[in-house]
Amino acid sequence: MSKSYFDETHCAIGHPKSTFMQWMLTIDHKRIGLMYAAVMFTFFFVAVATAFVMRLELFAPGAQFIDGDTFNQAFTLHGVIMIFLFIIPGVPAVLGNIVMPLMIGAKDVSFPRLNWFTFWLYILGALVALASLFTDAGFADTGWTFYAPYSLNTGTNVIFTLVAAFILGMASILTGLNFLVTIHRLRAPGMTFWKMPLFVWGIYATAWIQLLATPVVGITLILAIMEKYFGIGIFDPAKGGDPVLFEHLFWIYSHPAVYLMILPAFGIMSEIIPTFSRRTIFGYRSIALSSASIAGVGYLVWGHHLYTSGMADTAKVIFSFLTFFVAIPTGVKFYDWVATMYKGKIILSTPMLWALGTIITFTIGGLTGVTIAMIGVDIHLQDTYYTVAHFHYAMLGGVVFLFFAGLHYWFPLVTGKMYNEKQAKIAFYLQFVGFNLLWFPMFIAGYYGMPRRYFDYLPEFQIYHQFSFFGAVIFITGLTYMFVVFFKGWTKGKPSGTNPWNATTLEWHMPSSPPPLENHSKVPYVDFEPYEYHHGEPVVKFDYETMKRID
Amino acid sequence: MDVNNTLSGFNSMAATFAADVDHAFWLNFWISIVLGMTVIIPMFYFAWKYRESNVKNEDISNNSHNTPLEIAWTLIPTALMMVLFYYGYTSMKTLRTMPAASESITIKVEGSKWKWKYEYPANKAGHVHKITSVYDKKIGGVKRGLYVPKGQKVILEMTSPINDVIHAYFVPAFRMKEDVIPGRTTKQWFEADKVGEYDVECAEYCGTAHSYMYSKIVVMERADYDKWFESSAKSPFEDASAPALSKGQSLYEDNGCAGCHSIDTDAILVGPSLKGIGAKHDAAYLKDAILTPDKVVPEGFYPGVMPPFALPEADVAELVKYMQSAK
Ligand code: HEC
Ligand code: HEM
Ligand SMILES: [Cu+2]
Ligand SMILES: [Cu+2]
Repeated sequence: MSKSYFDETHCAIGHPKSTFMQWMLTIDHKRIGLMYAAVMFTFFFVAVATAFVMRLELFAPGAQFIDGDTFNQAFTLHGVIMIFLFIIPGVPAVLGNIVMPLMIGAKDVSFPRLNWFTFWLYILGALVALASLFTDAGFADTGWTFYAPYSLNTGTNVIFTLVAAFILGMASILTGLNFLVTIHRLRAPGMTFWKMPLFVWGIYATAWIQLLATPVVGITLILAIMEKYFGIGIFDPAKGGDPVLFEHLFWIYSHPAVYLMILPAFGIMSEIIPTFSRRTIFGYRSIALSSASIAGVGYLVWGHHLYTSGMADTAKVIFSFLTFFVAIPTGVKFYDWVATMYKGKIILSTPMLWALGTIITFTIGGLTGVTIAMIGVDIHLQDTYYTVAHFHYAMLGGVVFLFFAGLHYWFPLVTGKMYNEKQAKIAFYLQFVGFNLLWFPMFIAGYYGMPRRYFDYLPEFQIYHQFSFFGAVIFITGLTYMFVVFFKGWTKGKPSGTNPWNATTLEWHMPSSPPPLENHSKVPYVDFEPYEYHHGEPVVKFDYETMKRID
Repeated sequence: MDVNNTLSGFNSMAATFAADVDHAFWLNFWISIVLGMTVIIPMFYFAWKYRESNVKNEDISNNSHNTPLEIAWTLIPTALMMVLFYYGYTSMKTLRTMPAASESITIKVEGSKWKWKYEYPANKAGHVHKITSVYDKKIGGVKRGLYVPKGQKVILEMTSPINDVIHAYFVPAFRMKEDVIPGRTTKQWFEADKVGEYDVECAEYCGTAHSYMYSKIVVMERADYDKWFESSAKSPFEDASAPALSKGQSLYEDNGCAGCHSIDTDAILVGPSLKGIGAKHDAAYLKDAILTPDKVVPEGFYPGVMPPFALPEADVAELVKYMQSAK
């Protein structure tokens, strides 16, 4: 049998003998992606466990088993992990790393050593963030937004979290840089931008955001640190600063960051829908361009987080107007995807189920975002559970669901094995039902005035929190089961072959499964569109030794 | 008096502009349903119609463009979005256009960790009503609130002490909210058109007791309001014949000590219970505890939570006396 990337690797330094060191030092994009996945999903489970503690606490009004301060630290820990350690690096670091170079026919990313360094920078950032859990002052209690002057005054260990977020931002910038150069320089000959798979387009748009927006949050965090420890007087009103300035700077990054999360996820959708409809995608260019325009307009809408922050009314109107223009390209994508199913042959394998499920949940997430883009309505809904439900529908029901879709889709590529489809589908249905039960009632609670970040609440809201709790139980059961199915698939699953889904893009044209260390045997020449099907069969066929077309 | 049931308070739409906001919300709701269905219904239909067993490979179409359709699904949603933008704007417009000061009552609101204070303009007798509103866990409600007459425009001028943090004054029944920012003054206004009691919640995260930073707005008939306003009674509902509170006790309530300390039980709220504190510590300690709380921090509590109170010497003495009297 030929050797796969599990058997051999290139290392950043030297040629270590031990398998362990080979993993630690690896510069192979596929291995690095896997290591990101391992670390990230560990954190993800920590954050889910924290969320479950909060849900238990919220089961009834009054204090159940933790106090207000602990609850405040819990949602901060949950938010910080989910945002900075999981979902921002998320899809690009895991699937971008593993799949993007394969999709463009490259041997690796442009700077493999930098990729290795970035991974360890990420680990450093994660360790710094978690270290404060074990210090006397305890984990930060600011919420993931670190608003001044609260973050400047609190006694908890905010500095660790700020430094960690800064380091993680660096890692994100470097990943973006690496991917940008890779996509510009290492595409296989013949592959113009209009022949790139749409996942690559998603990663590309994201990389620009990572590169251009992340420095703003870096600067903001540094300013906050200087304010807290040297009192430079920029954010703290007691020193002559302006706390609202912090909010602006924070959202100048953090709003584009939500597109940084969703664009690669939309890319996954654009891969799965044509593959499981057995036909070419509808509106390739409009999908690609809408990613780019979302990334562009997304810079100019941060003020929609500040409708109640004492910002000038004229500014609110402008920000609101622009915000609606992000909704439109997003909507167009959804129509394109659904149109792709028209007169196709719909195969409801697990990745497709996740994709279609997400069409429902993200539609809800997106349209409720439109509600709070309306200024007058948002004045009522801002900082209520309506907003919290909206962003969980968008991030969990959008990004994370599509991430899971991608994991199911590329699982056979990465492992060479197939999971049990029937069990994987059960896991999907559990999570889909659980998720909706978990978050839908919160729209209603929020509309009735349940504020966010409340550890205790008025008795009227109890019923919604109880539904939500049972939803969480079902969701987490399904989630755990999904990972069990993955684990069993990897250890005991049947070999999948190189192209189990009958897909068209280059990552499915590997000489062996799992792929060898340096990917394709030869660099292919790309004179075809990414999703060419004829009568439901992929048009382009390769000889995997020479990478010459044989169709 | 309990906190009023939020949901009934909510549904009563007690401010003149609440109907505008709700109108915008429901318009958005129905447009969202329509737009959502144009995605979800075809998705289910196609998934069923073109299911694997129902389609022969030769029948698969590779159609990738349909210009009229693409124009339609870009322009129609754009038009609908502009409608929503417009109603978002108009509903904001009424909320954010302050009425003339001459036809309104302007009340100063101060939000601080974790209480709300109101200061009225002076009445005919020159008395200035100052009200502190804190949530009392014992009764599960707030004792005093903001008293306003029905059908009267009220402007709230809101701020927070310079060393405090951001809060937000949120009245679900009125559909209004605005941040209360240290070092700045923000404003909002309302005209309540239904007599009743409405919850006020702090909607901007502000730490330990964020979820207990309630107040309430009590909307009264004009005559009742006037009667109270021209008097010097603490609230319209407090029995005038009841024995007056001692100076110490009313200072204790007005400064919001009760929000963080229980004094007749051992319950720990935010700070330690002050029951029997006089037996444990002398007057000098208690005085310091008020003026410089971080100097000595009892076991199990953190510095920086209790703000230093810069009160006149005489008031501090009264407070100390009151604490010492709490057995
Ligand atoms: C924001 C909540 C808060 C408010 C308001 C507050 N306190 Fe405190 N108080 C605390 C906390 C927390 C401690 C313990 C930590 C410390 O000493 O700083 C404390 C400590 C004390 C102590 C010392 C108790 C001991 O056992 O040593 C006294 C006395 C006291 N407060 C009195 C008052 C008085 C009088 C007021 C009103 C003028 C008041 N506090 C308002 C939170 C508060
Ligand atoms: C297992 C499913 C999840 C549950 C049960 C859950 C639950 C919660 C709860 C109860 C809160 C606190 C709300 C409040 O008090 O205001 C919260 C906040 C939050 N959640 Fe989740 N969540 C889940 C998954 C996620 C995911 C996947 C993400 C992102 C990828 C996420 C991101 C956040 C963020 C950013 C906050 C805000 C934290 C803050 O206020 O600072 N959550 N979640
Ligand atoms: Cu935003
Ligand atoms: Cu608050």
